[in-house]
Amino acid sequence: MQVFFTSPWVPAEWIKAHGLEPCGVWSAREFGFDSLPLSAGVCAFANAAVRLAEEQRESAVIFSTHCDQLRRGFDAVANAASAPVFLFNLPATWQTPVARQIFDSELERLGGFLVALGGHPPSSQELLQAMTHYGLARRRLLRAAAGCAGRRYAEAVARFHWDGSCPPSGDPLFRRQEEPSPGGSVPLALIGGPLPRSQWELLDTIERAGGRVVLNATEAGERSLQPAVPREALRAALAPGARVCSQLEADERLDPPEGAATSAAAESACKPALRQALTRAYIEGCVDVFQRPNTRLYAWLKKRLAARRARGIVLWHYVACDLWRAEAQPLRQAFGLPVLLLEANDAASGCLRNVGRIEAFLEALR
Amino acid sequence: MKRPERPANAPRKLTLAEWDACYDRLSEAGLREPEYGGRLSRHIGLQGDLRLRQLRFDESPAALRLWNFLLTENQRLCQARAAGERLVGAMKDLGTLPVMAYSLPGLRAFYPDGAWWTPCLMECSDGLLQQAEALGIDASFCPVRAMLAAFQNGLHFPRPDLLICSAGAVCDDFSAIAQRLEKMGFPIVWWEMPRRRPPEPREPARVLPGNLVAPRIQVECVRAELERIGKLLGKLAGQPLDAQLLAGGIQKANQVRRLLASLRHAVYASPGAPLPALEMLVAEMLAIHFCSDREETIRVLTDLLAEAHARIRRGRFVVPTAAVRVFWVNPPADLRAMNLLEDWGGRICGSDYMFTHALDLIPEELPPLEALARAALADPMAGSTLDRARRIAAECRAHRAEALVVSRIPGASHCAREGAIIHAVARELLGIPAIELEIPPVCDAMLPALGSRIQALLETAKAQRDR
Repeated sequence: MQVFFTSPWVPAEWIKAHGLEPCGVWSAREFGFDSLPLSAGVCAFANAAVRLAEEQRESAVIFSTHCDQLRRGFDAVANAASAPVFLFNLPATWQTPVARQIFDSELERLGGFLVALGGHPPSSQELLQAMTHYGLARRRLLRAAAGCAGRRYAEAVARFHWDGSCPPSGDPLFRRQEEPSPGGSVPLALIGGPLPRSQWELLDTIERAGGRVVLNATEAGERSLQPAVPREALRAALAPGARVCSQLEADERLDPPEGAATSAAAESACKPALRQALTRAYIEGCVDVFQRPNTRLYAWLKKRLAARRARGIVLWHYVACDLWRAEAQPLRQAFGLPVLLLEANDAASGCLRNVGRIEAFLEALR
Repeated sequence: MKRPERPANAPRKLTLAEWDACYDRLSEAGLREPEYGGRLSRHIGLQGDLRLRQLRFDESPAALRLWNFLLTENQRLCQARAAGERLVGAMKDLGTLPVMAYSLPGLRAFYPDGAWWTPCLMECSDGLLQQAEALGIDASFCPVRAMLAAFQNGLHFPRPDLLICSAGAVCDDFSAIAQRLEKMGFPIVWWEMPRRRPPEPREPARVLPGNLVAPRIQVECVRAELERIGKLLGKLAGQPLDAQLLAGGIQKANQVRRLLASLRHAVYASPGAPLPALEMLVAEMLAIHFCSDREETIRVLTDLLAEAHARIRRGRFVVPTAAVRVFWVNPPADLRAMNLLEDWGGRICGSDYMFTHALDLIPEELPPLEALARAALADPMAGSTLDRARRIAAECRAHRAEALVVSRIPGASHCAREGAIIHAVARELLGIPAIELEIPPVCDAMLPALGSRIQALLETAKAQRDR
């Protein structure tokens, strides 16, 4: 059964370990933008999530509380959707034990929801397999980020969010691109909210206009690959004597580790600790605009904007997305880079208005 | 639609000029006022509250005291600061942290978000919205963006010694604006308010005020957060916030809430309205942070309640019994909207101004922090809109509402969806007509359209009455 999730901070590995198929909505074909309701201020992305829940019969949809529109979108479908729906409470704060407690309890509750859908409570081995698999895929995609951006990278990350897969190490994705000549394309950072499949044309538009996305920090872009369970945490979470270290050490492999703790005693001792390790990884790895304070987002961006020599920022935000829209000026001030605001709406991102704005922005940056 | 006629002995609503004349008469007759008293018209000169010229006010001394109390908050805060008190800005917190802060001697909490009404009161002559726009917060945000500029220019409230803001299940507008504020150099202590959810089957649960239930774990999380904040408040006050002090603070807060409950019951259940909608809106707002003076809030509400009771006894209503009983959801960005409703034959018979949890009593039989955590979690804006809609429906029934108005706040993220959900519940459970009205901070340009929509609603409600 497919379980659609609307935020990269809902752990896909947790869904996978329950025997269900986690699918990020960003590349779902069913996830389409239609005409918005007449009432002003409805976010097109949140509205698409609501439509998805209304139209699905065979799948489930997980909303999250990270934005008001999705949170209230859930309210609109809670009693009316065809699909089973779940609202994952993502804490906005991250510095306190309470944030971890909320996240951990939400994982437990999500587990109950997944079991009710036909999934099963995961064994330690299943959870470990899923965590290792997703962790390694993330690491590999992160390594490719600096050398390969643009549409190809966006597609690879979306594919990961869709089915957990990662291209093999020989894939061209992992071949470092040559530094462009000084007179070549302009390196840009694309920062902001969700960039679903129907909006990927934006990346082509930027390239056609003479730009190059060297940092994709949209919702399901490079930022979303941060949660990583440290190997030490996995080791500590496992029962003594569990034979998984060799697999963990071989971190280039995406094969599931074998021989994890299997005895009943080890099972009961291990699972809460593994879940807590997952919680910790997400709480510590989450880099997003909704966090309070959102200083981690700025620290994360600072490092990468400098390393990749971005010369401008395209701020991609949805109409009525206050969280991103409010960051335009702070981004400009924090990094001293020009910022172009691009509004996503129900129209395609390659619409004439956006093309004109991107062209003008790049022309000014040359 | 003909405007309803007013009986000859009915209390009047006065213009500002009429209030000045009335003030002279009352003064000659020996009117006694608190220190912040005086003519209402002086607030135009002192603070530029130009909107007062367009409003009409209840003629009672109790209403005069209410308005003067409201309009002198900044001066009173400055006086408190000068007297050595420490100021706490409690942002996006409708009625929780102020209860804690006022439990400690020498602390005074206020609500910086209240600046959202400044552009209305000053008819945008303050320039706050334009300043907010210059800071990157434009008209796509809720008028609460005025607060950002108010912090920057320091003219509308003193800079607090401690600034606290809830995060999580709060409006995105406000959260984004508060984040912007922090980047402007105003350090903020954030605390997590989880989105309230119903307990899962067999999950340990706790009963909240307002006939709500929440999982035990959510109550525990909020309690832990409040405990963390309590320690900071204690540090600021130079005295720990212990259970005894907090229990005392809760008792005082409940005194305010009981007074408000009595006032709301007296006014909303009465055949005609003994007090106007506008004064009732302002009175209800006192629940949030006591307008920076808890003791005086009690006195102001006591006066209003006495006035309401006296009028009910004499059958003197400021809005006649024939008026259509309207339940109003969300505070209007322009106070004048409340006058407008009554002008066209409506009256408020119930309200949800987004802080119904601040009207419910805080349980006094529980450990104080636990009680406060439960009260905080009962916030209608932190839970499902369906919960909120059901409470609205129950109150509509209890107060025999004939129509429902959902007042949209321009740019507010919660308004995108909640109106439709509340409408659907009202249709299903009540069968009364409902409309959404978007009311900007100064609604003069929209008066014909607003008037038409309100009239259409009231006519529909009357037609149902006659059926």
